[in-house]
Amino acid sequence: MFSLVEAHKRFGSVEALAGCSIEIERGHVLGFLGPNGAGKTTTMRAIFGLVELDSGHVLWDGRPVGAEERLRFGYMPEERGLYPRMRVADQLAYFGCLHGLGGGTARRAAASWLERLGLADRAEAKVEELSHGNQQRVQLAAALVHEPELLVLDEPFAGLDPVAVQTLADVLRAEAARGAAVLFSSHQLELVEDVCEDVAIIERGRIVAAGNLDALRRSSRRRRIAMRLEGAPEDWLPLVDGVELVGRSNGDLHLLARQDVDPELVLESAEQSARVVEFSYGPPSLSELFLELVER
Amino acid sequence: MTGSRAIRLVAEREIRERLRSKVFLASTIVLLALVGGSVALQGALSKRETYRVAVVAPAPPGLAAALERAAEPFDDAKVELRVVVSPAAGRQALDSKEVDALLLLGADRLMFRSNVDDKAAAVAETAARELRHRLPPEPELQVATLQPADDETTDAEVLVAYAGSILLLMSLAVYGQWVVTGVVEERSNRVVELILSAVHPRDLLAGKVIGIGLLGLAQLALVAGLASALLVTGAFDAPRSLGGDVALVIPWFALGFALYSVAYAAAGALASRQQNADTAGQPVTYALLAVYFGGYVALSSDPTGPLATLLTVFPVSAPLVLPARSALVGVPFWEHALALVLVLGSVYALVRFAGRVYAHGLLRGGPGLGVRAAWRLARDP
Repeated sequence: MFSLVEAHKRFGSVEALAGCSIEIERGHVLGFLGPNGAGKTTTMRAIFGLVELDSGHVLWDGRPVGAEERLRFGYMPEERGLYPRMRVADQLAYFGCLHGLGGGTARRAAASWLERLGLADRAEAKVEELSHGNQQRVQLAAALVHEPELLVLDEPFAGLDPVAVQTLADVLRAEAARGAAVLFSSHQLELVEDVCEDVAIIERGRIVAAGNLDALRRSSRRRRIAMRLEGAPEDWLPLVDGVELVGRSNGDLHLLARQDVDPELVLESAEQSARVVEFSYGPPSLSELFLELVER
Repeated sequence: MTGSRAIRLVAEREIRERLRSKVFLASTIVLLALVGGSVALQGALSKRETYRVAVVAPAPPGLAAALERAAEPFDDAKVELRVVVSPAAGRQALDSKEVDALLLLGADRLMFRSNVDDKAAAVAETAARELRHRLPPEPELQVATLQPADDETTDAEVLVAYAGSILLLMSLAVYGQWVVTGVVEERSNRVVELILSAVHPRDLLAGKVIGIGLLGLAQLALVAGLASALLVTGAFDAPRSLGGDVALVIPWFALGFALYSVAYAAAGALASRQQNADTAGQPVTYALLAVYFGGYVALSSDPTGPLATLLTVFPVSAPLVLPARSALVGVPFWEHALALVLVLGSVYALVRFAGRVYAHGLLRGGPGLGVRAAWRLARDP
């Protein structure tokens, strides 16, 4: 199990991490969420010693992480970067070797990842000759080539087309199934809901929510109500306390209610002024939860 | 993974990728061709030498012809025979540099001014034998000089000294620039973040410097080795001992490179991301040039003076000045040893300093770092 314990880091007057703690079990994918500047990248860089923490611990199975342990971690930095004039297969083998693989093993692993990501025919091409999307795939392979026990990916879905998104989601699930602990950050919350069971939300250098995604949603103090009305006045709102409007379009109403509000009351109120075609009630979505938690 | 394994991997990558670039192979071939070509050029351009020999009247009949014949095997050299009235007049002519040698047949002596010219002596010896129909092994002539031998520096020594130090200067600057370019590129294409997630900055620095240094050393060893071998085998019209002085360039390149490349790497790491590699390395290149010209001035004014001696052992200048001075006037053993110790000590200190600066510089985005900030960084991390 990976754990970051009470990490603190200050850059001049900015407190980047203010006691940030996260845990990831082997075989789990943790979605790491937070607004820009909340400390996601700093946290990830700290795992690899690229940021020296003012205080706090980086632990693997309860033991401090040093250079030796980091070799069994895989990293896809926020700022992508490869050697542009180095051949794809050579480059992946090189990163494999840097992480402790023998030369032959590294070359075989590189070839197998290129095959899996559909780049086998570009193995001898220089990285700079590849399209942007294919460079992203090589970058992913560079993080995976040594079968890491912990995989850390900073915004891996950013800038990917829908097909590549699907490939990456599959790869992340497969890595977890292999037994790796996976941590990735993202702003695409629907994707996170799709890929992870666990999330951690960071705000101003502190984790404000962490745990199983469904449990977190259920523990929210709010509930989501979606309705489709026919023949309702333009500005219709339910006359129930503790319900607020989130959005409205073409008769579709999207509301957030306090947890203690009885949805029956909302439904009754609606039926008095219009025909209710659809009605749903449940825990907030991840994006609603996110907005609730990081409201400033 | 141990540090040494990471260093080896980084160094191997540097060598492999650069050997692929063809620039290295092309420049090596050009340099080798230059050295080899200079032998051919020297042969083509060297004028026929003329030995001016004085002999006391009356000159034996046939001496001039015998001298001419004896000189023929020596690249078709010519002999200009001059007849003087007495040995005293001959000595005067020798002293005033009107002639190069004085042949005293009566006394079986051959006199030179201050340094014995082996070729002229051989020519005179052969001619004297021929006149007297004698056979070896008894030497006919006793060779002597008018004055004690002087330490006058020959043209060949000057050439070796300056060509050697220019070769060193260029190699240090060129390969140093490779280091800067490598460091700046790794930062600007951001691959460094990925590398440093697995490799200690110190090991990345060491691997890079060692890889590029070995390439430079291989190239220089080929070029200087060829020049040295040509000197030793006598392909050049120069003292064969100079071969050793040329060979001295090779270890001093290694030492100089260790010193300067680490400084170059630190300069590259301190540069801002937008800054290009050329300007990043400039401070170190200027230091190299300053040392080169300082050494040039010191050696050309007084190669045995205190300034030249100081620059021979001062670690920053030793790699450029010591080999040149060794070719010009020779350098005593203790100076070699002191320079070596001081350079190694400086490399050690610089690696520690630059290693820290390098680590901080690489991991920091944004603007470049001033020297003062770098110094603070390196002192209290």
